[in-house]
Amino acid sequence: MQYRSEIKRVKGLGTAKHGFSHWWMQRLTAVLMIPLGLWFFYSLMTMETVSADAVIVWLQHPVQALLMALWTITVVYHATLGLQVIIEDYVHGKAMALTLLTLIKFAMFAMIVATFFSLFKLAS
Amino acid sequence: MSETKTKEKTTEENKTMSYKIIEHKFDAVVVGAGGAGLRATMGLAAEGLSVACVTKVFPTRSHTVAAQGGMSASLGNMGKDDWRWHMYDTVKGSDWLGDQDAIEYMCREAVPAVVELEHQGVPFSRTEEGKIYQRPFGGMTTEYGKGAPAQRTCAAADRTGHAILHTLYQQSLKHDANFFIEYFAVDLIMEDGECKGVIAIDMSDGTVHLFRGHAIILATGGYGRTYFSCTSAHTCTGDGNGMVLRAGLALQDMEFVQFHPTGIYGAGCLITEGVRGEGGFLSNSEGERFMERYAPSAKDLASRDVVSRAMTMEINEGRGVGENKDHIFLHLEHLGPEVIEKRLPGIAESAEIFAGVDVTKEPIPVIPTAHYNMGGIPTNYHGEVVNKVGDDPDKVVTGLYAIGEAACVSVHGANRLGSNSLLDIVVFGRAVAHRVADKVKPGTKHKDLQSNVVEKIMADFDKIRYADGDKTTAELRLELQTTMQKHALVFRTGKIMQKGCDKVAKIVEDYQNLKLTDRSLIWNTDLIEALELRNLLSQAKVTIFGANAREESRGAHAREDFPDRDDVEWMKHTLSYVDENNEVSFKYRPVHMNTLTDECEVIPPAKRVY
Amino acid sequence: MAEFSLPKNSKITKGKYIKAQGATNVRKLKVYRWDPDTGDNPRTDTYEIDMDSCGPMVLDALIKVKNEIDTTLTFRRSCREGICGSCAMNIDGTNTLACTKSMRDCKDTVSIYPLPHMDVIKDLVPDMSHFYAQYASVQPWIQTDSVPLPDTERLQSIEDREKLDGLYECILCACCQTSCPSYWWNGDRYLGPAVLLQSYRFLADSRDEYTGERLEDLEDPFKVFRCHTIMNCTNTCPKGLNPGKAIGEIKKLIAERHAL
Repeated sequence: MQYRSEIKRVKGLGTAKHGFSHWWMQRLTAVLMIPLGLWFFYSLMTMETVSADAVIVWLQHPVQALLMALWTITVVYHATLGLQVIIEDYVHGKAMALTLLTLIKFAMFAMIVATFFSLFKLAS
Repeated sequence: MSETKTKEKTTEENKTMSYKIIEHKFDAVVVGAGGAGLRATMGLAAEGLSVACVTKVFPTRSHTVAAQGGMSASLGNMGKDDWRWHMYDTVKGSDWLGDQDAIEYMCREAVPAVVELEHQGVPFSRTEEGKIYQRPFGGMTTEYGKGAPAQRTCAAADRTGHAILHTLYQQSLKHDANFFIEYFAVDLIMEDGECKGVIAIDMSDGTVHLFRGHAIILATGGYGRTYFSCTSAHTCTGDGNGMVLRAGLALQDMEFVQFHPTGIYGAGCLITEGVRGEGGFLSNSEGERFMERYAPSAKDLASRDVVSRAMTMEINEGRGVGENKDHIFLHLEHLGPEVIEKRLPGIAESAEIFAGVDVTKEPIPVIPTAHYNMGGIPTNYHGEVVNKVGDDPDKVVTGLYAIGEAACVSVHGANRLGSNSLLDIVVFGRAVAHRVADKVKPGTKHKDLQSNVVEKIMADFDKIRYADGDKTTAELRLELQTTMQKHALVFRTGKIMQKGCDKVAKIVEDYQNLKLTDRSLIWNTDLIEALELRNLLSQAKVTIFGANAREESRGAHAREDFPDRDDVEWMKHTLSYVDENNEVSFKYRPVHMNTLTDECEVIPPAKRVY
Repeated sequence: MAEFSLPKNSKITKGKYIKAQGATNVRKLKVYRWDPDTGDNPRTDTYEIDMDSCGPMVLDALIKVKNEIDTTLTFRRSCREGICGSCAMNIDGTNTLACTKSMRDCKDTVSIYPLPHMDVIKDLVPDMSHFYAQYASVQPWIQTDSVPLPDTERLQSIEDREKLDGLYECILCACCQTSCPSYWWNGDRYLGPAVLLQSYRFLADSRDEYTGERLEDLEDPFKVFRCHTIMNCTNTCPKGLNPGKAIGEIKKLIAERHAL
């Protein structure tokens, strides 16, 4: 870094011209999680017995299955966005940051796919 | 790069001090980054010259930032106005010691200068029509003193200096000027009577830099810190003035020190005249608005010297307020919280912090406080430094320029009007940029220095760095400040000043006895303060010696033993010199009683009543 | 990874304790000291101050130490009235100006450190050059395409001018900047509260015509969106300004630009 001007350091790679959608989606998903969260916990609490069979019956209903899909996608997406911020904030090694960012994105896709697969399987 | 070695016996051990000198070549070098320095830097950069601005503090930390009330210009946004009226007020304010050609130039250029600042982005307060808001200020009138008070002072709430300084720095960034920040200027490079550069220390690593320039522009501000109680920053040590004296050149009218009527009692922080401009007033222990007695028509908005004297007389006659009856109250509680919040928010904050006063409910305790130096480096209205050589009182010193409070153009004469200083820095900062651009062709080669002037400067520097006497900088500085505070205040008499002269001379001699503890070079403020004290000492000396020599009362220089103005003998500028043995000598220069154009007339001396 | 503990050579050791002789009204200053010439670790020296012969502010106490006890103590100071921004430092755990911080409002032993998370040059003097370069990088000057009439000011309504209140008063002391954890972790890329406040000062100016370009330049995951509304900036500002709100306004403008 020696002999480089401060301006060079400050300007760095220039502006990415994005960043808003990430910030906005994190807030949108947070807002969406309020009603969905209420639905999720309300449903669990009002179930007579929270057994596997009861949950399967519950999720075989198309409306409940749709809401469940929405809920998991929202939670997983929100968590991924949040983890991304944490990684960007605290992980400064480029290789490590890239690995972690890739992993969380893969994990996100995997969890979404798993959710859909499960719901389809229950419905069929 | 060149290298010079200075052999110097140090008291710690005998060693050879060697300072590597890093040389920079520019078309022009500005020393100081207050309002004047930045305006010049920006102007020179915009003219296409290579320019370096060398400053001991980051530009926005310069003391211009503390200017509150505003900048005068006869825009006429709040009623009819004319630059000739402004000129009349300034000449009268100067008690006819101001050079009328320079005053004409400044007052005429005021309007374009303030418009230019607005275009550059200064966030001026506004009128209903969206124009720049202007407030009344002391000594500003209409119809050549015969009309109502003028609303001439353009303001950005009560933070005008801050607004202007930040804008000028921003403009300098825009024009890609070269800044050398936290570099302390030590001395001028003078050769054959010409100024060829300046030596400065980079405080961050202690390296020594030689800045060569075809124009060296001193914008180093005033030397308020010669007084114990002053509105000036700790850094207001007049380093340019000190360098000029050491270069064997003159300082002009140094005996004229302005005492601001309203410094906060105890802390010394400034409370703007704008408070009185917005309707505030002073009262004594009897609750009387005493200014009505001293200045029946202008009252609290009389010129600063008049108000400071009136306050001092009230206190001397036992009508001061407080436990010791040693200060005066400034009222603004009647203005109402709205006006205060809109026009004077900074004042409310300062009064709260430094006097513990809620200005919407209580008056502020104030006292006249050393504020501004009308004197400085003599220049013509182009900013070129002049000296009296033989019969020529206006001989230009090649390569050297001065602007702002460091300079004595002289537009302020014996007393400056409030809001004329922000005007002064902008107008003459601009003027000097134009002048230098006219005289210096970009890229002109620098001739090598012939003499050993750099070695000499570094030898002196080294001597101070290793000073090992028995008095610290702080001790000597305190002695100086208390002496000046006691012997060269608002009212002066020959007897008291003579004592002061002896004491100051003794303190100047004592500087040989200085002791420094910090020998390092990285951010050695012990050393920087010692170098600043060297500058303060010589300036204090010419101030009090010059005051003792001037046997009359004029403007800010009020002598009890010579209570009247003496135009026959003393309508002239004092030029003071200090030789190598610290002896002070004087020459005198006539006041310019001529105008530049026939658009205005010379204002003949008259009795000064407000 | 971000480091959560001090590197070895920055660990602070205990320094000298200097007593005030014959004083009755004593307060203590615990001051961070680091001398770049020795290579020693930083230390904290403690000085007893006789308050009967000292001014009311923390800066007065520091100057008293420098004048009377240890002339090598190094700190920046200038205006001593809270307008120049030189004496910003960390006092009792909060970034503020030493000149406007009253000793009465401090703990019995006043702890004084340089602004956090900056490179220290010496004692209480941090290296501010990166901050200044960041300031310059947002082009903090008015930019227009239209040319104003040469002999008259641009007009601005009182209401539009009021939008600059709380923005133009910033003194660039960097108290807010260096109080922001996000700036500590990503100061090389995050512009920080002070610089964003200054950036917004021009976005909010009715006379500036480069709002779009400015927003374009700001929209970046790091430049603006590292702000996690922790609000240390607003809590610490010695001038009572609200950089947090200014950053919020920038985000709002970017949102508006995206037609939301």
